[in-house]
Amino acid sequence: MTDYVMEAKNVYKTYQIKGEKKEDYKIVEAVKDVSLLIRKGDIKLIFGPSGSGKSTFLRCMAMLDIPDKGEIYLGDQCLTQKGIDLNKARARIGFVFQHIYLFRHLTALGNVELALRKVLKLPKEEARKRALDALAEVKVTECISKYPSQLSGGQAQRVGIARALARNPDIILLDEPTSALDPELTGEVIDTLRDLAKEGTTMLIVSHEMPFAREVAEEMIFYDEGHIVETGPPSLFFNAPNTDRAKQFMTRIINRTTRE
Amino acid sequence: MGGVPLTLSISILSFFIGIAVGLPLAFIRVYEKEVGFVVDAYEKIWRGIPEIVLMLLFFFGLGPFFPFPFGNPFIVVCFVLGLRSGANQSQIYRGAIHGVGDEQMIAGTSVGFSKWRAIWHIMVPQVFTYSTPGLGSEYALLIKDSAYAYVLSLAEVMKRSIDLRYITGDVIGPYVLAALIYIVLTFPLAFSLDRWGNRRKKKIGL
Repeated sequence: MTDYVMEAKNVYKTYQIKGEKKEDYKIVEAVKDVSLLIRKGDIKLIFGPSGSGKSTFLRCMAMLDIPDKGEIYLGDQCLTQKGIDLNKARARIGFVFQHIYLFRHLTALGNVELALRKVLKLPKEEARKRALDALAEVKVTECISKYPSQLSGGQAQRVGIARALARNPDIILLDEPTSALDPELTGEVIDTLRDLAKEGTTMLIVSHEMPFAREVAEEMIFYDEGHIVETGPPSLFFNAPNTDRAKQFMTRIINRTTRE
Repeated sequence: MGGVPLTLSISILSFFIGIAVGLPLAFIRVYEKEVGFVVDAYEKIWRGIPEIVLMLLFFFGLGPFFPFPFGNPFIVVCFVLGLRSGANQSQIYRGAIHGVGDEQMIAGTSVGFSKWRAIWHIMVPQVFTYSTPGLGSEYALLIKDSAYAYVLSLAEVMKRSIDLRYITGDVIGPYVLAALIYIVLTFPLAFSLDRWGNRRKKKIGL
């Protein structure tokens, strides 16, 4: 019996960016030989320059992008094996998107309820109850019957978190959950994540919210050019990272934060 | 006037056949690219041949050999108009699928839906909303094209007005009446479908 929740083993992913003409395209190596182990209750935070492949890696973890090579494990089940029921596996993984992607035709409650009813096939009352609990947990009980277009960015993202949370997933993967929001709205989302952290939710977060990282992350992962450059506790990165690349990046990001 | 129920039933039935055919075709075209060419061919054939030709072909060409269903003029008319509308609607929905966006599918997959269940629970409701102006005019088109049914002697509005012309000897009156009936049949429905669509679109921010 292991307490491993998820593991990535030597994962590779490249994709093509198509140019104007059919024959000119660029190959981007977004994930090059990345391995990562997550145990129950872990909170790990991936950060690094934009375009470095962090999001692609996170999507590979959720099998929303299929890795070219390498293995992804959910518990002791290998998701990259042929013949595995990926939909079942994805139902056990919560995913929160940078641009939120709520189902536009459903209310906040409907968004959270849908997968409970149609994927987990819970009876109506139980689905309703669990959806309401999840929405209460992210503190959006006052606008559960509003449509996504009527929600503020912060509310919408908290509904997005509730949608991921309600299924009681083994892990929640969050892809820059605050970076598409107005600065004054990031606080409420961060508060929600802080609450989840307190309850011991297993999370892998791509984020540049440094104060938050320092507070809740057990491990920070500096990711650049398709691979993990350095990992360590927040104290390492905030004091003296080992690699020059991480040092540079931290200096820039900290300067930016203090200037604000 | 007596032709109205028949005109309406032809157009409504064809419209629903069109949904049943067009919706799956559109999703196959977008999400099963390997067989997309079949959908393209289907659309080209049905949109490329005048429906009056198709009706005559099916009724007189196949009718004698297959009295059911092709010996029945009502079925032939609905069949031809429905499948033709399916080709049109497939194109309307395809545009709508792109309009709704792939992100909705990704979000659907992320909560554990299979591709086709995500399509059903997440894409289809939004695709309908997105398609409303197009669907309104498609319905109007079907009302108008149901007039071709007169070639198979179905007593719908067109046939009735032609008969009326011979009975009364009035060359203009019956056709003016027919024109008015068609306007009354198409306009309110297309209009209310549009309005419903616009309101719903605003609500869900499409």
